[in-house]
Amino acid sequence: MSIAQQITTETKGRAAPVQVLKTKAETALAEAFAQAERSLPGGDWLRQLRRAAIGAFGAEGLPHRRVEEWKFTDLRAFMREAFPLATDAVLPKPAAIEELVRDALAGADLAKAFAVFVDGRGAGEAGLSAISEVDGAFLARLADHPPPWLEAEISEVGGHVGDSTLALNTALFTDGAVIDIANGREIDTPIALIFGDAGSESRTVATRNVVRVGKGAKIVLVESHLVPNAPRQVNTLTQLVIGDGAEVVHVKLVASREGSIHLGRTVARLGANASYRPFEMVVGNGVVRNDLAVTFRGQHSSFDLGGAKLVSGHGHADTTLVVDHAVPHCTSRELVKCVLADRGRGVFQGKVIVRPDAQKTDGKQMAQALMLSQDAEFDSKPELEIYADDVICGHGSTSAEIDPELIFYLRSRGIPLAEAQAMLVESFIGEAIDKAEPEEVQDALRALARGWLAREAQSAGK
Amino acid sequence: MLEIKNLHVKLEDEDKEILKGLSLTVPKGEVHAIMGPNGSGKSTLAHVLAGRDGYEVTEGEILWNGESLTELEPDERAAKGVFLAFQYPMEIPGVAGLTFLRTAANAVRKKRGEAELSTPEFLKLVRGKAEQLNIDMDMLKRPVNVGFSGGEKKRAEILQMAVLEPSLCVLDETDSGLDIDALKIVAEGVNALRSPDRAMLVITHYQRLLNYIVPDRVHVLSNGRIQASGGKDLALELEKSGYAAYQGKAA
Repeated sequence: MSIAQQITTETKGRAAPVQVLKTKAETALAEAFAQAERSLPGGDWLRQLRRAAIGAFGAEGLPHRRVEEWKFTDLRAFMREAFPLATDAVLPKPAAIEELVRDALAGADLAKAFAVFVDGRGAGEAGLSAISEVDGAFLARLADHPPPWLEAEISEVGGHVGDSTLALNTALFTDGAVIDIANGREIDTPIALIFGDAGSESRTVATRNVVRVGKGAKIVLVESHLVPNAPRQVNTLTQLVIGDGAEVVHVKLVASREGSIHLGRTVARLGANASYRPFEMVVGNGVVRNDLAVTFRGQHSSFDLGGAKLVSGHGHADTTLVVDHAVPHCTSRELVKCVLADRGRGVFQGKVIVRPDAQKTDGKQMAQALMLSQDAEFDSKPELEIYADDVICGHGSTSAEIDPELIFYLRSRGIPLAEAQAMLVESFIGEAIDKAEPEEVQDALRALARGWLAREAQSAGK
Repeated sequence: MLEIKNLHVKLEDEDKEILKGLSLTVPKGEVHAIMGPNGSGKSTLAHVLAGRDGYEVTEGEILWNGESLTELEPDERAAKGVFLAFQYPMEIPGVAGLTFLRTAANAVRKKRGEAELSTPEFLKLVRGKAEQLNIDMDMLKRPVNVGFSGGEKKRAEILQMAVLEPSLCVLDETDSGLDIDALKIVAEGVNALRSPDRAMLVITHYQRLLNYIVPDRVHVLSNGRIQASGGKDLALELEKSGYAAYQGKAA
């Protein structure tokens, strides 16, 4: 990116938007929208929303390191060019869909309830497998005449100015899953949202999922973004509305690759006595940013995040979290662990806001990194904004290398160095993976971590 | 047979010599005890035998069955039959005891050219040995040594030793932190492993352990060298007179 393309010029340390100059990527994205607008799904309501959103994106541009929330993830630098919007996706064959369902989380059976997307588009009839308790559909098909609740939800999360990557999602999303769970339904079968790609060209892909979980309902959501075959710039957003007394487990897996960028976002709003337990797993050497915004709207609810990130090469994995304790008596927990090899970089930003009325809030966060290389980097930034006085809030962060004393102990028992290291890394990351549910999913994630470790050991041995 | 010849050892990043020409021979089938005051080099000897990083052998050699150990990595030594029971066994959160034991047992078997144990074979082996040491199998499902008492940790060490079937056992202050009941159990476990094919080196600060693990020979280590050697009565004598008479000087 050349200096001339900078969006703002700085005068005396103060950013002043004297003249809006767009970067190459920003220009390309705005042009992509103008070209694709007619073919993007949605009636007038959505068209207006999209136009407002692209306007907001144009005004702000891509976030960069001088934007506090993005200080460790300079998206403008990562995204020197924007890939063309994926408009050429063909409907995958059933065999290809089966393969995606199988590979989405190897070892876990996701074949019962799934929605498959290839390059941002629902994969037709064969791409949707519903069980009777789940009301699931492709968003694109509903977008012309959405049910009122859906329109309201998308409008609420869509029109924001102040977060340009979210605005970009609203402007560009081509499809996604709409899942509506009736009050009181308790579903053990994981509901899988599976995102794959096709073709060999670099593409930009944007998807939006909307999940509404009725009062007292229980679901397990598995969102899997498979490792792309060709470079992808993905912008994906999942919004959840969790009713009173509902319980939601949400496992998100991102397999990344060099040259790709995954901008993921989850926006969850919880009613009273509800529980939201997300788990995020990131594996690979691409750039991944997961934004998570959680708002408590009812009392006595809980949020419990687990995260395991295995980063190698020049990979970058950022988890940025905003938990809004807007009401009293809610609990929030975060445990995010990174294993960083090569020049891998892990980022954790955890903002917890406790509003003046939110007495008896109980919040704890922990971010930990295990550095496998001298060149790895871990940035951790807790931010507690506490306006109530009767609360318990804590945070912690550690980064360390593998303990040589432990390595010696294992080796003295005959375990070779590479295997000893793998065991200790697994034990480190295992504590986080323990938080993933259900057991079948947890086992699959553990196997995934083991596979990554084996590959790392192999490449280190070469 | 373990033969240590004129062993000189210093810390890698310090010039201070810790072992200053230590020589010692332990034939197969025998149990030798090494006693000595604090700072005499007992633990250094144990760690150097097991191949821990951070020490430098500047002179002399360590031979096990005629083969030099000094250049071998710790896991290679383990495959040759060397086992160190740690004074302070490490806690490994997140690794179940059984997983650890099985990985170790199979790694050692693989290097020795033996077939790996199947799960039923392994469990049968461990169950039998654990019972002898009064170790509950549930304890082994927990992460290695995490939350164990001192006695439990030491018993777990002896269990590892029993499962790995080493030919050279080095016990580093295995009695430290044990009450008398735990000491008896640990000693019984060690005695059960005495065999004509196995040499044992028992390092201890106190004579008490040697009432239960009766040694063939006792050596006094002080100031980095063996200052005196004798039969099991030497330990009793030391208990009475202390180490003062053996504060020898380095050559």
